[in-house]
Amino acid sequence: MAPTPATGPSASGSGVQTTGDGDLAIEVMDLTVAYRDKPVLWDVDMSVARGVLMAIVGPNGAGKTTLIKAILGLVDISAGRVLIGGRPYEQQRRRVAYVPQRGSVDWDFPTTVLDVVMMGRYGALGWIKRPGAREKHAASEALEKVAMSDYAHRQISQLSGGQQQRVFLARSLVQDADVYLMDEPFQGVDATTERAIVTLLQDLRDSGATVVCVHHDLQTVTEYFDSVTLLNVRRIASGATREVFTDENLRATYGGRMAWLKTGSPTEAARD
Amino acid sequence: MFDLFTDYTLRTVALGAGVLGIVSGVLGSFTVLRHQSLLGDAISHAALPGIVLAFLLTGSNEPLPLIVGAGVAGWLGTLLVRAIVRNTRIKNDGALGLVLSVFFGMGLMLLTYSQSRPDASQAGLDKFLFGQAAALLRNDVITIAILGGVAIVVVALFWKEFKLLSFDPEFGTVLGFRMGSIDVLLTTLVVIAIVIGLQTVGVVLMSAMVVAPGAAARQWTDRLSVMVCLSALFGALAGVTGALLSSTGARMPTGPMVVLSASAIVVISLLFAPNRGLVWDWLRSRRTVVQSGPQDQVTGRL
Amino acid sequence: MGRVARRAAISILLVGLAACGPVQAGGVPDPGEIASRRIRAVATIGQIADVVRNVAGDRVDLVGLMGPGIDPHLYRASEGDVVSLAEADIVFYNGLHLEAKMADVFEKMGGSVTTVAVTDDIDRDELLNPPEFDGAYDPHVWFDVAKWMTVTEVIRDSLVTIDPEHAELYESNAHDYLAKLEDLHRYVAEQAQRVPEEQAVLITAHDAFNYFGQAYDFEVRGLQGISTATETGTADLSGLADFIVEREIPAIFVETSVPERFIEALREAVASRGSQVSIGGSLFSDAMGDAGTPEGTYIGMVRHNIDTIVAGLTASRESES
Repeated sequence: MAPTPATGPSASGSGVQTTGDGDLAIEVMDLTVAYRDKPVLWDVDMSVARGVLMAIVGPNGAGKTTLIKAILGLVDISAGRVLIGGRPYEQQRRRVAYVPQRGSVDWDFPTTVLDVVMMGRYGALGWIKRPGAREKHAASEALEKVAMSDYAHRQISQLSGGQQQRVFLARSLVQDADVYLMDEPFQGVDATTERAIVTLLQDLRDSGATVVCVHHDLQTVTEYFDSVTLLNVRRIASGATREVFTDENLRATYGGRMAWLKTGSPTEAARD
Repeated sequence: MFDLFTDYTLRTVALGAGVLGIVSGVLGSFTVLRHQSLLGDAISHAALPGIVLAFLLTGSNEPLPLIVGAGVAGWLGTLLVRAIVRNTRIKNDGALGLVLSVFFGMGLMLLTYSQSRPDASQAGLDKFLFGQAAALLRNDVITIAILGGVAIVVVALFWKEFKLLSFDPEFGTVLGFRMGSIDVLLTTLVVIAIVIGLQTVGVVLMSAMVVAPGAAARQWTDRLSVMVCLSALFGALAGVTGALLSSTGARMPTGPMVVLSASAIVVISLLFAPNRGLVWDWLRSRRTVVQSGPQDQVTGRL
Repeated sequence: MGRVARRAAISILLVGLAACGPVQAGGVPDPGEIASRRIRAVATIGQIADVVRNVAGDRVDLVGLMGPGIDPHLYRASEGDVVSLAEADIVFYNGLHLEAKMADVFEKMGGSVTTVAVTDDIDRDELLNPPEFDGAYDPHVWFDVAKWMTVTEVIRDSLVTIDPEHAELYESNAHDYLAKLEDLHRYVAEQAQRVPEEQAVLITAHDAFNYFGQAYDFEVRGLQGISTATETGTADLSGLADFIVEREIPAIFVETSVPERFIEALREAVASRGSQVSIGGSLFSDAMGDAGTPEGTYIGMVRHNIDTIVAGLTASRESES
């Protein structure tokens, strides 16, 4: 699939949108992930510049979560490679923060909100060392940013879906990272929380971080995200939202599963 | 009860069973939280062929080689479980069940074969199946205490790593921890606990000791540190109570008494713990409905 | 896997094996046919095997299932055993639930193979009926030599029944052997007298010696119950330790077919009470000694036992001071 030409300050002609900084935050090249004989990701290229807020969209089974996990080294890669800031991921772990899907943990675990957020500091602590006052402070600050300070000592099983999402976000904030990979951060949150999260992500972007989110709601892509990658096992298109998020590309990504609303903006039909 | 201090046998057995209870309580907390309750069962059953093989190879009826054999076999069993889950479509519970039955079957087969050897009965191989708590010797208790102590120190050292492993192992990997190694470490400690337990409650009952104290403790608290401590307490309580009960009458086998005590603690916890207990749940639901009447679903007003 | 499940599994397996495969079912052997060859006989415990050998001599091809050091309470039949049993002309076992885990096998075999519970002829009134073993008898009858003489007669009669042509041989052998047993019985009684009454207490790992005690005037205590398949409680151990201290018993005895650690634990318990008891030696309880040694025969075993017991209970008095 030919990459969509980019326009903008420094058109590099390879589907990359840059904001003036030559360093690429994330570079994915020829990435292929196969589970037994089935390809889940096939020959995917994706480049994300620094200071970009990007969405990854695609139908179910498109490999969106797998892409995130492949970048993080959580799944085995069959072919291709991943660079963070020009270096292999293993060398750059400290710079990458991860916000997994809410359903990936058992929320009945006996621990508090503050405790979960502090886990984000474990990497910096290294083996055996215990979290102390400094870590607690960092966690408290992060909780404030997501407006969850009142819940610091709440048992996590008592949280609503949106609150759980915010806890995971706070956990990523304490990692002091400049690249954020998030898997459906808006899944199941109410409108107010959603606005708050978007603001947070945009703040992060404005301060120079790179944020990539798997996103499920096509209607909000244009409003929230600067760039978007359309994925369906292969990369269909990747680049600035206004250029890449076209009907043609969407049709190519979602196949026949499209329904046109009166407003003329495309949305995915019958999410299973 | 004073016999606990004056009677040598009771003291020895209570001490051994008590320490066993502490260790299995601490480690069992993590296996329960990781939804791996079957792990204790699998390891203890998988240990059987190791015990018999150790006997067949060394011809010795000393407990030490048998215990080492038990540990190695149990440990290999867990590695096999991991390999199965990794490389086949079989999930964790299926793999545990598989390894449990295959290893145990091999163990029984070897046991039958070993009967043709004259020293087999002397080695008391059959006793490993059901335990021989009343025959704990002073040296046994010392061994249990040392091994148990090491296990607890390791848990204290790697506290946050084990917490991470139990709550969100993927996140741990992202942070840079080698979660696979931590998993093996925790499992190895469980193997040690099982091996300690073999001489007291035996292979068949050991699984209860790993699950019961942790499951009971979860009912009473929402904090991990408290849960682990409570679990240790419950385990110790079960051990000592079992020993005490065994001393009250003739022909009261110690191992089963310990397990029955542990089970009683679980039942009480399931029923009466505040917040999570079934009895409290029932009382609470009665109270709200009876006192306040129906509630408007939209406004919440009564 | 529970015990019930295990027994069920083995039973099913055995029935399956017995029903198929190249196995000659024994049936009731034809006396004419059997006279022309050796009798294929199977005995469970060594004590029985030894008697069979003495009575039948060369006329028998004997397979002994449980060798030296094997615990008959826990013994599970292997496939090889099942084949031997199915091919046998006659099977001798103790009965009274001694071979507890083979009960199903004998039941299944009962129809097609001649099985003889050698204790059947012993008057039930003479058998011990311990309270904990509700309804069942103590099976360790071989320690009363007089009862084992009855067993010899049963074995002789069974052999005569299936092989009447050689009846004279069996009767003559049995007669000689019974004379030896008579001597043995007398010897044991004499030796037993040498132990002063207060010290005539035999403490072992499990309750195997009740008949010995009854026949030769000893008080007998075991740590475990009648069967080694049970588990001890701390009360049993403590109680026994108290008893030892109270009665100033000089020695306790290890059994060859039971793990030593139980007796060790008992000794530690006694030591903690400030007293001393020595391990008097190793006794043969459920199993005999190695083949080829004197203790590998019934007579040799019984002699070894009484000698060890007497030595332990008399000599220790001196070594204590």
